[in-house]
Amino acid sequence: MKKIIYIITAVFFCMAGFVHGAEHQPLDELKVPMEKAISILKDPQYQKQKEAQREKIWEIVNQTFDFKAISMRTLAKNWKLFSDKQKEEFTSVFTELLKNTYIDKIQGEFHNEEIIFTGQDIISSTKARVNTKILREKIEIPMDYSMSLSNDKWMIYDVNIEGVSLVKNYRNQFKEILAKETPAQLIQRLKEKNEKHEQDRIKEQD
Amino acid sequence: MKKKIYIIVGTLTFVLFGIVLFPGLSFSSSEDDEYAAIMEELEEEDKGSETYSVSDPLYYWNKAMFHVNDKLYFWAMKPVASGYKTITPTIVRSGIKNFFYNLGTPVRFVSCLLQGKSEAAGTELGRFMINTTFGVLGFGDLSYLDPKLTPPPDEDFGQTLGIWGIGNGIYLVWPVLGPSTLRDSIGAFSDSFLSPVTYTEPLSVSAGITAFDQINSLSFRLGDYETLKGAALEPYEAFRNAYIQYRVQKIKD
Repeated sequence: MKKIIYIITAVFFCMAGFVHGAEHQPLDELKVPMEKAISILKDPQYQKQKEAQREKIWEIVNQTFDFKAISMRTLAKNWKLFSDKQKEEFTSVFTELLKNTYIDKIQGEFHNEEIIFTGQDIISSTKARVNTKILREKIEIPMDYSMSLSNDKWMIYDVNIEGVSLVKNYRNQFKEILAKETPAQLIQRLKEKNEKHEQDRIKEQD
Repeated sequence: MKKKIYIIVGTLTFVLFGIVLFPGLSFSSSEDDEYAAIMEELEEEDKGSETYSVSDPLYYWNKAMFHVNDKLYFWAMKPVASGYKTITPTIVRSGIKNFFYNLGTPVRFVSCLLQGKSEAAGTELGRFMINTTFGVLGFGDLSYLDPKLTPPPDEDFGQTLGIWGIGNGIYLVWPVLGPSTLRDSIGAFSDSFLSPVTYTEPLSVSAGITAFDQINSLSFRLGDYETLKGAALEPYEAFRNAYIQYRVQKIKD
């Protein structure tokens, strides 16, 4: 009898520990996927298999970026204009746009850039900013990641390149577009952009 | 007694299942919570003094100039910079970059003083002395010798005016020079009096030196313009916003 209660209590404490006790450092949590992505970029095995490399990097990016939060933040007040279905659709096409742009960029132009982690600002128990520098040839490009803790994992919700926030930049564009067009039209424009990008990519590979 | 245990175990199992299933069941409401939290945070941000919008009464002129500069980039600057990059070793380009950076010391030094950043001004002066002499006219950067000589953030007169409380004024896109604002244009014009290149005679040589500096800098940044443009739905608006954000950040540090 007592044994069972002990076991149950122990299980409970374990679970509590699992949920609340884990104290991760955002910097460390970002470092792991970043280093993994760089090793994939450098891996000679992928030099001829760009598509496989792209998928591998995407897998990592997908686990590190909170695309839902990024979508909410870029639409801000306008998020409420979207129906539930449109919210989902927007998140998916906008994610696709970001994926296209940035994976192409790092895949196409990776020349042994180095990423230096310079520090982290813990803003609150669930918000932090990780500072990095990209070392390209002889120049340094400051790149900061805004991260938030959700479900016990630090996820990126904004990227700052030389002080320019990606989310704020898109928020400004979407605000101007939505002042004149409907959510459906914005989604349509994103879709068209993605399709064109896909065609260009296929053309380039041939 | 045994019955009691069953009840306890049963209840606990139920509770545990509830914990596991709960996030799944309440998916939509947790999304609403997340959204509410984000909006609260954004409103808090909006209350801050910095604003990222800029008035753009010269929209049509600016947009035309944006297209001119875009063509200039793809037809002239980019091919020249790419060719230059292929034939010039990194170490040479980096030396030239250092040389021009060193020439910019008077602008940064004076701006540091005007902003009351005496420590940064001291660093600028120290860097200038060491890099001009031991660094051979600034081609070498000896800041690695002493962490105290790490370059402080770039300052210019536009930022000084910003710190003095002068707003952006209107947004302006200059042919060749690119995005600016009324305040930053006045700043850049004032700064030009502190640049040795301005006093080079004749004017064509002075312009040539400036162009060379631009091409050399661009050789390190090839591809970045294309990425930002390619990522945008509204490229003109994207660059305008990026410029304003960039300057706000510069004024802050």
